[in-house]
Amino acid sequence: MADKEATVYIIDLGESMADCHNGRDESDLDFGMRYVWDKISTTVAANRKTWTLGVVGLNTEETNNAQDREGLEGYDHISVLQEIGPASMSTLRDLRSLIQPSRSNGGDAISAVVVALSMIEEFTKKLKYNRRIILVTNAESPIDDESLEDVASRLNESNIELVVIGIDFDDPEYGFKEEDKSRAKAANEKTLRKLVDQCSNGVFGTMAQAVEELAIPRIKPVRPFKAYDGPLTLGDPSKYESALSIHVERYFKTKRAMAPAASTVVVNAERVGPSQTQALDEDIEMGGTGFSGVKQMRTYRVNDPDAPGGKRDVEFEDLAKGYQYGRTVVPFSESDLSVTKLETKKSFTILGFVPSRSYNFFLNMGETGVIVAQKHNEQAELGLSALIHTLHELESYAVARYVQKDGAQPQIFMLKPNPALEDEFECLYDVPLPFAEDVRSYQFPPLDKVLTVTGNVIKEHRLLPSEDLKQAMSDFVDAMDLSGFEVDDEGNPTEYASIDELYNPIIHRLNQAIRARAVNPDGPIESPAEILLRFSKPPEKLIKKAKSEIEALADAAEIKKVPAKAQGRRGRKEPVKPLSGLDIDALLGESKRTTISLENAIPEFKQMLATAADDATVENAAKQMGDIVRKLVRDSFADLSYARAAENLRVMREELISLEVPALYNKFLTGLKKSILSGELNGDRREMWFKHVVGGHLGLITQDESEVSEVTADEAKAVSL
Amino acid sequence: MAWGEDDDRRPEQDEGEEELDETDYKTQKDAVLFAIDVSKSMLQQPPATDKKKGEKDSAVAAALKCAYQFMQQRIIAQPKDMMGILLFGTEKSKFRDEAGGRSGTGYPHCYLFTDLDVPAAEDVKKLKALVEEGEDADEVLVPSNEPASMANVLFCANQVFTTNAANFGSRRLFIITDNDSPHGKDKAAKSSAAVRAKDLYDLGVVIELFPISQGGSSFDVSKFYDDIIYRDPAAELGSPDEVKTSKSGDGLSLLNSLISNINSKQTPKRAYFSNLPFELAPGITISVKGYMPLHRQQPARTCYVWLGGEQAQLAQGETIKVDSDTRTVDKSEVKKAYKFGGEYIYFKPEELASLKNLGGKVLRVIGFKPRSSIPTWASVKKSIFIFPSEEDYVGSTRVFSALWQKLLDADKVGLAWFVARQNANPIMVAIIPSRNPDEETSGTPYLPAGLWLYPLPFADDVRNVELSAPPRPADELTDKMREIVQNLQLPKAMYNPLKYPNPSLQWHYKILQAMALEEDVPEGLDDATIPKYRQIDKRVGGYLAEWKQMLAEKAGALMKSRAMKREVEDEDEGRPAAKRAKPAAKKAAGGHLSNAQLKAAFEQGTLKKMTVAELKDVLASKGVSAVGKKAELVEKLEQWIEENI
Repeated sequence: MADKEATVYIIDLGESMADCHNGRDESDLDFGMRYVWDKISTTVAANRKTWTLGVVGLNTEETNNAQDREGLEGYDHISVLQEIGPASMSTLRDLRSLIQPSRSNGGDAISAVVVALSMIEEFTKKLKYNRRIILVTNAESPIDDESLEDVASRLNESNIELVVIGIDFDDPEYGFKEEDKSRAKAANEKTLRKLVDQCSNGVFGTMAQAVEELAIPRIKPVRPFKAYDGPLTLGDPSKYESALSIHVERYFKTKRAMAPAASTVVVNAERVGPSQTQALDEDIEMGGTGFSGVKQMRTYRVNDPDAPGGKRDVEFEDLAKGYQYGRTVVPFSESDLSVTKLETKKSFTILGFVPSRSYNFFLNMGETGVIVAQKHNEQAELGLSALIHTLHELESYAVARYVQKDGAQPQIFMLKPNPALEDEFECLYDVPLPFAEDVRSYQFPPLDKVLTVTGNVIKEHRLLPSEDLKQAMSDFVDAMDLSGFEVDDEGNPTEYASIDELYNPIIHRLNQAIRARAVNPDGPIESPAEILLRFSKPPEKLIKKAKSEIEALADAAEIKKVPAKAQGRRGRKEPVKPLSGLDIDALLGESKRTTISLENAIPEFKQMLATAADDATVENAAKQMGDIVRKLVRDSFADLSYARAAENLRVMREELISLEVPALYNKFLTGLKKSILSGELNGDRREMWFKHVVGGHLGLITQDESEVSEVTADEAKAVSL
Repeated sequence: MAWGEDDDRRPEQDEGEEELDETDYKTQKDAVLFAIDVSKSMLQQPPATDKKKGEKDSAVAAALKCAYQFMQQRIIAQPKDMMGILLFGTEKSKFRDEAGGRSGTGYPHCYLFTDLDVPAAEDVKKLKALVEEGEDADEVLVPSNEPASMANVLFCANQVFTTNAANFGSRRLFIITDNDSPHGKDKAAKSSAAVRAKDLYDLGVVIELFPISQGGSSFDVSKFYDDIIYRDPAAELGSPDEVKTSKSGDGLSLLNSLISNINSKQTPKRAYFSNLPFELAPGITISVKGYMPLHRQQPARTCYVWLGGEQAQLAQGETIKVDSDTRTVDKSEVKKAYKFGGEYIYFKPEELASLKNLGGKVLRVIGFKPRSSIPTWASVKKSIFIFPSEEDYVGSTRVFSALWQKLLDADKVGLAWFVARQNANPIMVAIIPSRNPDEETSGTPYLPAGLWLYPLPFADDVRNVELSAPPRPADELTDKMREIVQNLQLPKAMYNPLKYPNPSLQWHYKILQAMALEEDVPEGLDDATIPKYRQIDKRVGGYLAEWKQMLAEKAGALMKSRAMKREVEDEDEGRPAAKRAKPAAKKAAGGHLSNAQLKAAFEQGTLKKMTVAELKDVLASKGVSAVGKKAELVEKLEQWIEENI
């Protein structure tokens, strides 16, 4: 997909690189390596065989390069640390031990560039590559400036980009100037700049800027993908002569980028010697860090009343495919499976037009595409262009049916014109719209009036905003306007938080952390880069500016937080009444409920608690409910009554929490577990415990849920196991 | 995506971590029991009329048809949800077939026609026979002389729910009747019904009443049903659940009236998140609930079926994790790590949690913008609807309402940082208001009024499509096009999704239903998404013909002028050829080859002369997979040229 790459990093490992300069508390080498590690680890992360890199050490104690071996002069103290090749984690590990400051300073930076250049020439031959040399140095060691032109022209001939990033190099554009710069360094900087200037493809910069820019998330470029290449029609050209057909191409405009996904792994079991070589290919590749991937195996079971537990395993080979229609399964033979798939032909055809104001953004169901005319096709270019301009002038959109390829599901698109008034090219944008089945009709009360039970309309109500509140809200919204909040380089107001400034915080945070850990496995996790959280809250300046409007809104709104424990205590519960307000409790009469039946357990349990006057009644109710749960489990045929038992438990749990007697529940549950695990409830009832109690979050009531509970979260967890 | 490729049901697979977004959000299940009154008046056939739109159904028939339609929809849209049908006031009584307990006698004049469960093909068949063919072999649709006791009906429903849908999050009893006073002045009977209704309330069952008024008399809920019906405990404050009476008239049949009333309750309102703090500004927080009124419905995935028994049976899959030695791995051994450079990078669970935590769940406004500042292409996924809730902050509703009105009046949107739940990934959203559905200009009469959280793309989600600017269009072409566009407006000048069922989904279930019910497989599908070609031809055929003629002329002229320009350029190129030759040649060979050039190369057999890199470029630019050896690439390109040029 992406182009092949060959990059050689030249890293100055001279003596002076071990020193700290300009008030930094890290050495020049560490400072510079921040940039290099980031670059290298990005290459490693891509895990591409065609993205290759090499590393050359400058000012190393030893000398190890081809030029020197050939007997050329001036190539001392330059070592190839890593020949060009794909980068892996082991490359990274090897380099970590090699990148150490030396006690030497006799290497020549220009010679190092020649070494790198030859490496690239030899490796890439004449093939299509992106070639690049990146030189990181503080330019404290002498540089020979004699052959600059030769080197530059060779770089240009081989189409190699030269990037020189200097530590504490002066950069007026960025705004950095090193005071008390040594004369030697100033001269060296000048020499290097001269070299870069002579390159047709060169970058010269200062490290401070490079490091600062590391925080800016880099977006992975993706080559445009053509999703459709064919006619956009109005009418049916196969049946009607009048029908219109424009040859268009459709590309993706938006596509959600996904955060890196974690894999499930296990720590490798201790293996000795030869067994490792017999492991799977993938395992060797993934080896080294002591983790290996986990695979999933699926087993299949069917109900069988004769089998223990009511279920038995079946072989995968014995299974057919099918679909479910309600609870009936309909088996299909492999050849019939496609019958349920609608036969469609690749097509893109307009249903009709709508005024753009009838459309709303929230109807969009997903990602957008961009539609342009087929290249070098005059009819298509003019035809589509006319359609775009007409739609724009009439403030209309087109609705179209889209089938990406033969057999694909039809989709409905809204086509919106982009007539190249501001953008550089004109096109149609498309967004997918919902079908009838995709709309759920949820009813909500109106927001601008209140309807009473009798159907009257009320316009003034505590649920409706007063005139004061409306005004305060209006002022607030206007004061918090972002459209001209930011100022551009020329001082003109521009939009704040436009889409090209919004970076997906999770993607970049994870990637950054993974790279950092790959380079330094023992390092701590750094806090998220500021740029990722930039839009997590309103800009402070704006809040300051809108201070009076915010205060006015707060006053007019009179919002009150509901205290956490406003309801639920015994006796405070208001009796629930039907619409008529009939007092049902009165109907039940004086005789208070004292027994709970199995059939109607939940209502009766609730009613008994609602009228309970003393703790003894509550205890009694809980005990009866507990007995019912036990009975349900004991008498259950296989798992038939588990759900019902669980629901009774849930109600019991909820009610006893609100009555602040969690101990009653906890005591019962502990007993229930014992009974289930010891098998005294008529057989193996463990599914009841693990699937329904533990899985249904019906464990012990902890202190987090009820202050009066004596059970900690850890204790509750232990009981659940 | 769910098109039967069953990508997640292969016996073995390497599993990547699912995105922690909507997938880990479990919807609560719903169970609906229809209780249909089978009285003499409910069975009364409407007077015969000549009119086409005249009433054809008795109230019972209409109710059963509704239930049939509801059942079919449910199988498609909510395949895990249950439904049942209880007839009451019948001469016959039936509860459950299973022996023992209270069969029949327990609930006199209650006939459990379809027990509460996920519908099976058998249930659909049986109901269909009753509804469409009027086959009532068991004579269930015979009214009893004495009416059923409502207390009995309600307790019967109670038992059905208790045993079959014990732990369903949503349980609803739909009562369809034309009798607003089943017990007249019988106070004792009324009281015991009220008590049984309270039981249902305590059980968590919501009663929805669908009254039918016939012959001009109105249905007075205060006579009896006000003692039975409770306000839905989950409903918003100040929103009495409206009880709508169904009747025939105004060109609407009783059936349609009933269907529309029942459809509005088809899906239980399920919140996607509750009590999300909505921070308008520092110190001003209200709470909102989130819903997903728009959700892409997909055909169900294939499943595995075991055919070894008497009946085809669903095989339930269970996953075991194994390591490379196929040793079963215990849950506690499993760790999460990221693949990186051929190895795994590991974070401790608490480190991972801190990495993913960029602040707790919140919807926080960072400012406002004009609606027009959202680029028209800025869309990535469906929106979420939010509505205020007074549960955490008293005053939420009025503040929300004020914001909603201001955004509508000023045509503005809010910009906000949004974390739906603890541990959810943060996204940026535009807060967009929707108008009252009954307003004529709403544009979305099928969606509620409120605020929508419209997910904005991140810079990471935007593809840069670099395309050259085409020529200015001829103005006459644009002018001519106007008439075509103006004459082909969709009905009511809007896209109403309710008019466009998803053809793939409809077909899938049509076939499936035919197979399940052992009926004939239908031949074709009435696909509403196919344009009305004949109408298009009739309405704008003339304009189109003229326009096409003009287009041909203009295109011809443009082609000529381009050819001339090229000639001039070619002549000019004579001299500086040395300088330009290289990049130009490269370009022509790469992805920028025109179709005509490709075709020429194809016909002359010179495609083979292209390099692999060039071939890959061309293929990628045509959207064809560029993987393979050179010979394969050439073949692919040839195939593409044959098919497309």
